[in-house]
Amino acid sequence: MDGSNEQIQFSWGKLRGKGGVKMDTQFYESFTLDNVKYSLYDCVYLFKHGDPEPYIGKILKIWEQNRSKKVKILWFFLPKEIQKYLRGSVVENEIFLASGDGIGLADINPLEAVAGKCTVICISKDERNRQPSPQEQAMADYIFYRVFDVKNCTLSDQLPDKIAGLEVKVLLNPKDELVISSPNAVNVPLNPNADDGLAATAPPPHSAVKEENESPDAAVPLSHPAAKEVAAKLPARVPLSQSVVSKEEQKPVAVIPISESVIKKEDKKSAAAISLSQSAIKEEEKPVASTPHPRSAVVENNAKYTQSQNAHGGERPPKKLKLSQEATVKNMIPAVTETRPLELPSRQADRSKWFKISWDDKLRRADEQGTLVYIQNLDIHFAAADIEELIREALQLSCTAKPINHPTYDDPNNGKAYAIFRTKNDADSAISKINSGLVVGGRPLYCSKGLLKVPKSSGTFVGHLSLHNIKIGQKQREEQKKAVSTSHCSQPNTIEYDLALDWMLLRAKQEKKFEILHKHHKDGRKGFASIGSKTAKAGN
Amino acid sequence: MLLYTFLLKSVCILLAQNSYRLGQVSVEPYSCRDCPSMEASKENASKEYADFEEKVKRTIYIDHLSPQVTTPVIKAALAQCANVTNVEFIVNYTIPYDIPSAALVELDDEMQAKAAVELMTDFPFIIGGMPRPVRATYAKAEMFRDRPPCPDLKKYFRWIKQGDGEYEAMRKLKNLAKRQEAENMALIKNLLDEEKELAKQQQEALNGNGKKYQMLENVVSDGTIRNLAHHYGVKLDD
Repeated sequence: MDGSNEQIQFSWGKLRGKGGVKMDTQFYESFTLDNVKYSLYDCVYLFKHGDPEPYIGKILKIWEQNRSKKVKILWFFLPKEIQKYLRGSVVENEIFLASGDGIGLADINPLEAVAGKCTVICISKDERNRQPSPQEQAMADYIFYRVFDVKNCTLSDQLPDKIAGLEVKVLLNPKDELVISSPNAVNVPLNPNADDGLAATAPPPHSAVKEENESPDAAVPLSHPAAKEVAAKLPARVPLSQSVVSKEEQKPVAVIPISESVIKKEDKKSAAAISLSQSAIKEEEKPVASTPHPRSAVVENNAKYTQSQNAHGGERPPKKLKLSQEATVKNMIPAVTETRPLELPSRQADRSKWFKISWDDKLRRADEQGTLVYIQNLDIHFAAADIEELIREALQLSCTAKPINHPTYDDPNNGKAYAIFRTKNDADSAISKINSGLVVGGRPLYCSKGLLKVPKSSGTFVGHLSLHNIKIGQKQREEQKKAVSTSHCSQPNTIEYDLALDWMLLRAKQEKKFEILHKHHKDGRKGFASIGSKTAKAGN
Repeated sequence: MLLYTFLLKSVCILLAQNSYRLGQVSVEPYSCRDCPSMEASKENASKEYADFEEKVKRTIYIDHLSPQVTTPVIKAALAQCANVTNVEFIVNYTIPYDIPSAALVELDDEMQAKAAVELMTDFPFIIGGMPRPVRATYAKAEMFRDRPPCPDLKKYFRWIKQGDGEYEAMRKLKNLAKRQEAENMALIKNLLDEEKELAKQQQEALNGNGKKYQMLENVVSDGTIRNLAHHYGVKLDD
């Protein structure tokens, strides 16, 4: 594919039948996307905008209706996603098949969201499951033998009869041993000038290193050369990539000879993604022998490639509309991002709400891992996406961020946010850079690491009074209990009314005080802004 | 201070390549090469924000809530004047004190929001426990933690090095911001202490009254009052 071609290759495979209310839906058994053939019940990667790591799912249905192509995906869960419910040990590369009913079982996604194939072998001793050979098991990207019921949130190694309306047998190992077909060998002439105009982020987040700490079990040595850089051209990015490299602790898979410029990443997800974006993949069969083929991705024999031209597994850039000029080499990739519709909206919402691996948990974990940064002096109108974008622009780092001001008490002149970075090094470099002199809209930002110590709220509430010394009859006690959970408008003929009024008075005073203070702050800042600009003018 | 400058120097070397770069960060994706989908996404963003603004209009912000108050309690409390669709409690990340709870309560429409706020400002509205009333105000966009980005917000960022003219001014501004933060915290502490004071006073008064009433009740119940009335020649009618 040359640079000017902006369409991703796509073709339908075998027809399966028609359906739908108006008989306008055509079902298929397979399709080919980007020169990779996907069939029913194949396991695939899907990317969600903003997430570094792809999701793994099994294709249950493929169809086209009204010119929109869709797939129904049955999800697999990573150990870290169901950590709360996980009992016992987790096998290396283990994932869990969704079962039961409800949110999180399966989703319908646009077909274009599929980002690569992966091999998932079932090692369950269930009689319906063809037992895999040891090689199959070793070479598989993932294995599973347990299912996670999404309704009851329970883990079980007993496979149910049906999942998502399908006989479970079709979801298990296919009859024939997985044929290791040669990976798509599409050679695209590497164009080192491709990313001249790129201002955007460097290694797309998804190919960034997965946090090892989070799923030590699933630490498959998948070193895949992921990122790239037409290093020569972009010196600015080198520090970043190097910091990423240094973070690596992965054990490389035995064979792959990789030149030093290639950064080994243990992100097996990006692996498959990489295999998909053939744009710059020059695949060699032989060194691949010991690695599962879908991951074969980029294997270089050092001799052939110079540093600046390493064929790197393209990162399959996360589906972001904005990253139309995604980093690095390929011309194709910009094309890819443009035509791919990108989002998996339903999936993300389901996952975060359902599992309640909430923002709070993320914060705590990030703090432990040293990737949490507390940024202050932002404009409080910035939303989460604004902050993340800012970090991306200014530092070429990706993160998840949320503004955290408390509406009652925090000073509206000083916006605060927590940002969670991928790696500790990222966080450290971000802090030092921001503190050294990042000014956003006239506000110099400053930041520090770690969570603020916030006391847990005690159960008692200042101002809710209780009558201690009175002997209360049984009936009255019940009434009192009820009283606590009800509410009312205080009527002027009670003692309570007077007391309540006292509080309202106090509060009015407080509001006034805050108002005065914050206004004072605002004026103070304005004074500075003008000084600042004056000096600038004078300096110029 | 020394450490600060040292850090600065080491960072400046890093930034050497970037030195003074004026970057415009806007929500619109940068130079779209030729993607009609960009336009679509921009429209989506505006639409999303418009929806969000609409939601903001019909949401109210209630604070000075007891930490024991839960969603059903709030729903029941407001049932008299509004139908509650969603309650989101505000998590305290930044204030290092024990502060009362607060919540963003989404109602059916703007009218209800108005009615609720007015009710709670005119009368002391008490939720769960007494006598401290809650406070309700209209919600504002920046109160929502998970809000969509405002499509019109233009953001600019600049890197400033030590040698730049503005550096001093920015540094001072930074220090000012930090000081203001500290002032704010001090005020908060002060206010919380005041509240404790008031609560203490009220509790004492209440206890005192309680004792009085209790005494009276005892007297009535065990009949001493009749004797007293007889003694003083006072008629006792109820």
